[in-house]
Amino acid sequence: MIEKELVAASTEPLILSLLTRGENYGYELIQEVKRLSGDKIQWTDGMLYPVLHRMEDNGWIKSRWVEVENGRKRKYYSIKKDGHQALKEKREQWSLLSSVFNGLWKGQNV
Amino acid sequence: MFNLEQKILEWRRQMLAVGVRNQNVLDELESHLREDVERQMQSGVSAEQAFYTAAQSIGQPAALQDEFAKAGATKGTRLQKWKEALLVFMGFPLPFPNALTAEARETLELGGKEALGFHHDFIGTEHVLLGLLELKAGVVRGVLQRMGVDHKTVRTEIAKIVGPWPMHQTMRTPPYTPRVKRALVLAGSEAKALRQTHVGPEHIFLGLLREGGGVAAVVLKSLGVNMQTARAEIFKELGRNRPGA
Repeated sequence: MIEKELVAASTEPLILSLLTRGENYGYELIQEVKRLSGDKIQWTDGMLYPVLHRMEDNGWIKSRWVEVENGRKRKYYSIKKDGHQALKEKREQWSLLSSVFNGLWKGQNV
Repeated sequence: MFNLEQKILEWRRQMLAVGVRNQNVLDELESHLREDVERQMQSGVSAEQAFYTAAQSIGQPAALQDEFAKAGATKGTRLQKWKEALLVFMGFPLPFPNALTAEARETLELGGKEALGFHHDFIGTEHVLLGLLELKAGVVRGVLQRMGVDHKTVRTEIAKIVGPWPMHQTMRTPPYTPRVKRALVLAGSEAKALRQTHVGPEHIFLGLLREGGGVAAVVLKSLGVNMQTARAEIFKELGRNRPGA
């Protein structure tokens, strides 16, 4: 399991990155992250929506309701221009961290 | 006969009743709930079980309170209300959970993590005990340490009795065992007897002692802890005597 502080810090960049693949809805975003992390990152269901709403307030993403089979509705989110910009900045920071660690840990076994 | 639509309607009403009045937010949560129920049912889970698991995982944001705090005060409060509504709805007795202190909530969350660490499908008395020993605040940890009991010794004892289960898909929010629920009710009456408005970790510990069963009791006994002595030590620490004793 990833520690909660790290999960919290990585939520926004993860959401933005997932949305660059196309629009998506909350439930599926959670599943996607679970799959990609081999179950090591488990977003709490209740936690995701406030984050999505905050990101929408920031103007990074937008949402729309879509009617799916048997009259059910889903709220799909997609990334906006400001979101791409925000992701770019976050990505630089995470890449830097990751390259620092890689340099430090090169040739070391855990 | 379990009626899913009826339950979802009730769930919505509960949310509304505690102040989640934004229809858009409610719709989105309901959509999530239905999605979760449907997928669980596809993998063979009964509608009833699926509903409760889904409702619980929406309502328990254990891991990411920080995120909510960042999401702004109004949203934080709203979340707190969801959580409380959920717990009431799931049949938890009052004054729990309204009257839990932050430390008590942390204790229970730590207990939940301990359960997941053992790959257990439930939060039992032993996990709550570990939660109490992990909690830095409060008097319980100190009292138990003076009696020669700490997190590590308890964990080792539990492993001897129950042992970790093999890796498998555990529920993100395992349910409390009936014993823990009873202990929490007793914790409520302990707090009340001490004229406290909130249930703290020390009351939870007293509740566990009074419940007197489960793996926690076996572990404490095998580590040489006498229940009455432990109880007396807690009261000594709290600087008052047990009312009526």
